[in-house]
Amino acid sequence: MFEIITPLFLSLIVGGTLVGIIFGAIPGMTATMAVAVCLPLTYSLGLDNGLALLLGLYVGGISGGLVPAILLGIPGTPSSITTTFDGYPMAKRGEGEKALKIGVVASLAGGLISLLVLDLFAPTLADFAIEFSYVEKFLIIFFALTVMAALSSDMLLGVFSGVLGIFVSLIGVYDISKGGNGEMRLVPPGLGYWLENGFSLLPVLIGLFGLAAILEQAEIGVPKGHSTKDIKVGAHSRFSFNVFRGQSFNLLRSGLIGTFVGILPGVGGSAASIISYTNAKTFSKTPERFGKGEPAGIMASEAGNNGLTGGALVPLLSLGIPGDSTTALLIGAFTLQGIQVGPLFIGNNPGTWDAMIIAMLIANIAMFVLMYFAIRYFALVVTIPKHILFPVILMMCVIGAYTINYGIMFDVWTLLIFGILGWLFTKIRLEVAPFIIGFILGPSAEVYFVKSLESFGTWTIFFTKSWIAIVLWVLIVGSIAGSILMARQKRRMEDHG
Amino acid sequence: MKFTRRSFLAASSAAAVIAAPLGARAANLPRNMRMVIGSKSTGGDTYQTSAMVADALSKKLGINIKVDAVGASDAFKTLARDKRGTTIMIFHDQSYLGYLYGVTGYDNIFADYAIGPTVAINPGNAYLVPASSPYKTMDDILKAAADGTRIRVAIQPGGVSEIGFSAMKNAAKVRAPGSEDNIVAVNTGSQSDKNQAMWDNLADVINGSIQANEQFTQLDSSDPKAMRFVWLTARPETLEQAPEAGMGGTDRAKMLSFASPETSVTLDGSKDFTFDKEFFFLFNKDMDPEISKAIDTTLGEIYASGEIEERQKAAFFIPNYLPQDQALKHLEDKRDTYAKVIDDISSKS
Repeated sequence: MFEIITPLFLSLIVGGTLVGIIFGAIPGMTATMAVAVCLPLTYSLGLDNGLALLLGLYVGGISGGLVPAILLGIPGTPSSITTTFDGYPMAKRGEGEKALKIGVVASLAGGLISLLVLDLFAPTLADFAIEFSYVEKFLIIFFALTVMAALSSDMLLGVFSGVLGIFVSLIGVYDISKGGNGEMRLVPPGLGYWLENGFSLLPVLIGLFGLAAILEQAEIGVPKGHSTKDIKVGAHSRFSFNVFRGQSFNLLRSGLIGTFVGILPGVGGSAASIISYTNAKTFSKTPERFGKGEPAGIMASEAGNNGLTGGALVPLLSLGIPGDSTTALLIGAFTLQGIQVGPLFIGNNPGTWDAMIIAMLIANIAMFVLMYFAIRYFALVVTIPKHILFPVILMMCVIGAYTINYGIMFDVWTLLIFGILGWLFTKIRLEVAPFIIGFILGPSAEVYFVKSLESFGTWTIFFTKSWIAIVLWVLIVGSIAGSILMARQKRRMEDHG
Repeated sequence: MKFTRRSFLAASSAAAVIAAPLGARAANLPRNMRMVIGSKSTGGDTYQTSAMVADALSKKLGINIKVDAVGASDAFKTLARDKRGTTIMIFHDQSYLGYLYGVTGYDNIFADYAIGPTVAINPGNAYLVPASSPYKTMDDILKAAADGTRIRVAIQPGGVSEIGFSAMKNAAKVRAPGSEDNIVAVNTGSQSDKNQAMWDNLADVINGSIQANEQFTQLDSSDPKAMRFVWLTARPETLEQAPEAGMGGTDRAKMLSFASPETSVTLDGSKDFTFDKEFFFLFNKDMDPEISKAIDTTLGEIYASGEIEERQKAAFFIPNYLPQDQALKHLEDKRDTYAKVIDDISSKS
């Protein structure tokens, strides 16, 4: 088994992980892009070495997203949105290095939990995954959407923002490749040429988080001669493993949620960190600290999104069905080498299976080592004067938006439109986090909701389909009730000063 | 040696010159070309075959060709915008089937673009039933429809996935007029959705492919995931060119048993319906014809040397180079055949 660990194999994993981290850390670049760029290289590398490179890119790409999420408040990837909620407030109060290290350790924990699950239970879990039809997938998305209420400072405005996000996400063609009818809807007259495919996620995401923050700062203005020395990286932000005391269950739960969401094809990676984050907040003794720089929030988000990495490989290697957009590309690597992926893959290719498990393990360790020890240098980003930093960020955002769909100029306009919208949101008290969650989950919610009704022909199917549906309803009702109780508690505290 | 800024610039310039492609074949052939494809997936068959062709062409022509998986709608828009010849496109029969089925974003490629040479066929388009299904063959399915049983077929509407479904309805109509109404579409999305529709008992038959579904046909019949091929739409002449070992546990002889003439889905009562998923070039109509000619001629030489054919066969594609003029006639004939099938059954689901 260990004969596959050659110097080339190791260096491809470590190199892939490093490149993946860089892709993940640049807003607009994702793990999927990193894998897509390097996919043709795997033809000459052979299957095991090619997979080593791609899995390193995958793990690094998912993990790298936490860097800009924490230091700049811009999620490097959609799955690190919830990392911004507590990471950025920590960075703003001078705990950027600490927040980054918490994120890296949580990422390692999530990655290893999912790897263990992948190694031990892959075929069994794949059989369980096919129990999830349109109905159960809709209920999972619905459960993730209930987080909108919990993440809002004003519940009514938060839910409104979320519903607005869903509405905007539905603009364009109801895509036939997702089971839609191919009809265009919600597109203003004359804009059909540009809005045929709606707004792309990443330009919207970068605009709302990145450009809007720059506009806000521009409005405040940077005092003359003032650098960002107010954000210090030093003794008071020192990281200690003690911060994880009492958080083992949070890490385990979040890693398992991420793994579970990854196992379900079509649910999407962002849902993993969103559900993990909501659960951490719901079960926390101090939920009011979430969103203001609570380390447990970063742990949940990062363990959740790295938990996805092993989970998404379960349906790929057991059913030939990718769990997310990045693992969809891995099928290309197998096909290039003439290897079929399906229910017989693990039994027919034990060597490749072992190579993948080892590569994932090494990639997770490499990610931890590379990021943990490089963090002090990453963290120096906050010491760059804003009048230099912001134009650079803006340029990176524009390049990221332009390249995400291979050079579509409308994506740059999308970035600018949503940047201005994000800035306006703060003026009219609409909330960005619920909006973006609605925007991300809206299309899946629509497809699974419509398909459930089309397939089963009755509303009652959402309650009667299976025991899984009933469990999900319990979680949904619990999440909504929890949000209402938290909001009432918060109001009482505010009333009592 | 002292490394000055000037020496750095000189070295950089020299490296850039060496790295630049050496002498393009046609004087007006762009040095950098963008090949857009009609799929957004870089793991699918369109990307795979386009990457092989782009690689061979760029080596032979000494130019750079980058494959971008932008999807059909954006690929057509990009191609329509670029008259300089720096953007070319590869797609398959979906490009005209989408138009025939009235899908948003699909133009009449024969009127709006120049059809280029064909390059390969994916012979894998298939229809499957659960291993426990009472239907063992297409004949069983068409008989059941004639007897009044409703047959649900999971497809992705508006293209390659639907054309086989339309052919089933057409065959049912030819065999027993009126029975075509008993063959109904279950509109799904990806292959994963189609498989899931079968496992949820929402579909009796699903569209799939040899590549994606073959392993499910090797599972023990007691496994709820187990499937069985009932029809491969490819022409027998196409499948005969596939490797003898076939794919996985299904060898070429077995594949041929699921295709015409052994498995018959009639077109008009005398001939069988067949469908090869064929990949071909599309060019901007106003592009310099010298550029498309250079690409066509070079492809002819590449295919004559045989190297790309080996690579395509290893990836389970059937090499199928037809020069530009022959390709146009061939694809127009295909389009006319399928347009008639679609018109006859008026299935625009």
